[in-house]
Amino acid sequence: MTRTRTKRGSLLPGPGPLPGIGLWAVALSSASILSSSACVDDGEEQGDEAADEVGTDESETDTDTTSDTETDTGEDPGCEFQGIDPELGPPEFLSQMCLMDWDGQDFLYEDNVQRYELNTPLFSDFALKERAIYVPPGETVEYRDNEVFEFPVGTVILKSFYFPADLREPELDRDLIETRVLVRFPEEWKTYPYVWDHDLGDAVYTVQGEIRPVEFIGPDGIERTASYLIPQKNQCLKCHEIKDEADETVVTPIGPRARHLNRDQDFGAGPVNQLSHYAEQGWLTGVPALDQVPSAWDMRELADKPVAEMSHEEVTVAARDYLDINCAYCHNPRGVNGISSQLFLNWDNEDTFHLGYCKKPGSAGKGGEDREYDIVPGDAEASILVYRTETLELGAMMPEFGRSLVHEDGILLLRAWIDGLPPDDCEAEGEPDPPPP
Amino acid sequence: MTYRAGNLVSVTQTLLLGIPLTLALGACTDDGGSEDDEVGDTGTTEEDTTDETETADDTETGTAEEETETTGEPDPNFPLCTCEDFPDAGTCYAVPAGDAEALLIAANSMEDGDALVMGLGHTELDNQVTIRADGISVCGQGMGEEGDFEQGTTLDFLPQMSQSNGIDIVGDDIVVRDLAIVDAKKDGLRIEDSTGVTIQRVRVTWRNESDSNNGAYGIYPVKVTQVLIEDSAAYNSSDAGIYVGQCAHAIVRNNVAMGNVAGIEIENTQYADVYGNLAEDNTGGLLIFDLPGNPIIGHDVAIHDNMIIANNRVNFAPGGTVKQIPPGTGTFTLASRRVEIYDNVYTDNGTGDIAILSGLVIEGDPAAWGLSMDELVGDIEGVELPTEGDTVFNYETNNIWVHGNEHSGGGTNPFLSTPDQELGVLLALLYASDLPIDSVLYDTIGESSFHTTDPAENSNDNHICMGDNPGGSFASLYVEVNSMTMGATTDDLFQPEAPYTPFDCDAFSMGPIVPPDM
Repeated sequence: MTRTRTKRGSLLPGPGPLPGIGLWAVALSSASILSSSACVDDGEEQGDEAADEVGTDESETDTDTTSDTETDTGEDPGCEFQGIDPELGPPEFLSQMCLMDWDGQDFLYEDNVQRYELNTPLFSDFALKERAIYVPPGETVEYRDNEVFEFPVGTVILKSFYFPADLREPELDRDLIETRVLVRFPEEWKTYPYVWDHDLGDAVYTVQGEIRPVEFIGPDGIERTASYLIPQKNQCLKCHEIKDEADETVVTPIGPRARHLNRDQDFGAGPVNQLSHYAEQGWLTGVPALDQVPSAWDMRELADKPVAEMSHEEVTVAARDYLDINCAYCHNPRGVNGISSQLFLNWDNEDTFHLGYCKKPGSAGKGGEDREYDIVPGDAEASILVYRTETLELGAMMPEFGRSLVHEDGILLLRAWIDGLPPDDCEAEGEPDPPPP
Repeated sequence: MTYRAGNLVSVTQTLLLGIPLTLALGACTDDGGSEDDEVGDTGTTEEDTTDETETADDTETGTAEEETETTGEPDPNFPLCTCEDFPDAGTCYAVPAGDAEALLIAANSMEDGDALVMGLGHTELDNQVTIRADGISVCGQGMGEEGDFEQGTTLDFLPQMSQSNGIDIVGDDIVVRDLAIVDAKKDGLRIEDSTGVTIQRVRVTWRNESDSNNGAYGIYPVKVTQVLIEDSAAYNSSDAGIYVGQCAHAIVRNNVAMGNVAGIEIENTQYADVYGNLAEDNTGGLLIFDLPGNPIIGHDVAIHDNMIIANNRVNFAPGGTVKQIPPGTGTFTLASRRVEIYDNVYTDNGTGDIAILSGLVIEGDPAAWGLSMDELVGDIEGVELPTEGDTVFNYETNNIWVHGNEHSGGGTNPFLSTPDQELGVLLALLYASDLPIDSVLYDTIGESSFHTTDPAENSNDNHICMGDNPGGSFASLYVEVNSMTMGATTDDLFQPEAPYTPFDCDAFSMGPIVPPDM
């Protein structure tokens, strides 16, 4: 058998390779030293020496990081993020990254870590999410109109999942479950899942995942129990993998795109547009005038304007953005795990066949009795897409991962969108003419 | 067997290894306390042999992370496959049966070039075994026998809480062998987007027969270039037992598929050699087809020396395209081209042994079969396809050659179809008073002329070739008209005797089948 061996994830377009690498290598060298310095209190002399040595050598990276943050995290003096050695893997404990902490109620971040929010978030069994990004000091993120932003090597994205006891009071009684970490290396992004151990007061690097029953009261006041999936390390890739332009499989973030980030957030001085704020801080470059920036539907608007009161145009935008964030990480023409379905739910897909109109499902899945087409325009009840996003039947559910409950708001939206499409019973009009007798 | 090539990483490593980073690890693992015990657990089955980690281990002795390699006495838990079988592996993880957590830790820790050896016995898992690496080997201690869910190395997904597969791999150069997968919620063994896959002696099964809640595919390589599936088995899947989908260069040999809706499927696949298999007691035995919209157009498929027996199981698919397969189907080749079906044995398939069908039978809108040339994957060498400007259509079935097959006992009971299986119902009606149904059926779609008796009035535009098939017979069904005609009977078909003129060709128009390049 002849086999070609291709290295996966090698071709992310990125900053010029050489400068990037140099800096990264430096960061990495310091990183390993840093972890030793975190341990030197126990009397490891050699580690101490090494830290000193590199500390003086690598003044560039050291001086860029502020040092007034130790009190925030309660870490030892000198605890600052310096990168992760891809070969040795991430630290055992999240605290060792020196990027964030949790005081039992709130998230605490180092100065170089910025919170961000998305317009339409992925539904994950009602978990609330706290998102933050670390960009290495002096590095910048390049704005992109439609793709995920271009992040410099060394970027870290932190996404924490938690459940308040009652979603109507999201500030109270929060159970922080996990923090997923995405790190940008020279060749690729890597995924590092951490699970919080509240006895330890830290999150522990955990590759094997877990399915954990979580009880909470939903936004509607109804008690629910999720079979919440803490993904295995490799299950991260189920959603975070795409084919790049060279047809190589690469890991990618999903959320940090202009259309999802284009919204206000209160950073402490009243609500400001996130993109403007980051641009002002200097680490996000290339942001055009805000009226030129695409914007996804803001799901928070549902609170003021339920689906029933939305026009079909509004419903269409909302439903397409909902599908985009919830489905299109697989269901797009470059989605490694969705391409074989030929169902492409990315917001900018205008091909109605691949959007599912009168499309029979290909090589996958259980569609529910009597449903033939992914979407029957005008008839949500007959559409497989609705069945699969609604059902709790293992083997038929969509999205494939991260949902064990029904997202009623999302379903309402999808139903309203499909029911409002110009009806088509999907009976083939192109039956071939019989050959002449 | 480590493929960590790539200049960038090399540069990084060089710089890294130049400083005493290993001390850091040693220091951290020394600070004791209950935390470390927990962390130690996660590494008990780990046996680091990569260059990089060995360096680290020099100062890391005394942690629980290294498994001592036993030499001498064979380990009764690893009678068939051991880490010694993978001397070139970067890291070999040996996991005894029953320890799901250790198995998942190992799977999620595997890097390029690593191996995973699973011990003898039964392991229950509530989530899939997910592997993302190149050049990896996975083996167990035997696939056991059907009906037993404990033998060999059995991964049992009955407690699966999340919807997921059994073993789920993406990566190049993959070997999986000698294990059984039971009751996966979705697919049993799924290997996707890969070049170079070898699957040997893997059994995928579900406990319940004919249960529409069973997972979809048993053994499922998809979007794979160069795949070998041999000596394996698939039972009771609610879609296809062995499903080669959107692959190029596939060998499927000496496998068993029983109790599935579809036994063996070769879908949107180029260059496949399928032989020595047994497909028995499925709804449909061995199927070759393209689905609309998939960018790889199937062609050059050889189906030979298989046993396709009594595939009369009532269709229990929960939905989808397979729901349309009539019970009693031996083989159909649909929306396909350059398919040679020869020297197989067809016995007791109640509806029909071989059907040659246009893709328009399952998707009547030709536009749905359109693919733009620049999105095509694989090649369309020597293939005849309708085109329209830049768009190519793969609904048409042409260049099918059926010869040397032995037919017996088929076509006598076409009455198990439901309205979901329109073709089955049609055949039952057409042949109601004139059983058995002919063993080779052609739907006649796309022919420019048809006549019930005069060979000269029948076209063979699609280049369908019927050779000598012992015990066999042939009918051109003229489906488009006869399916719309109340009371149509076998008198409305064209049922020529051998040599089946004008379907008596004995070669493809563009040269013989090209075998897979492995």
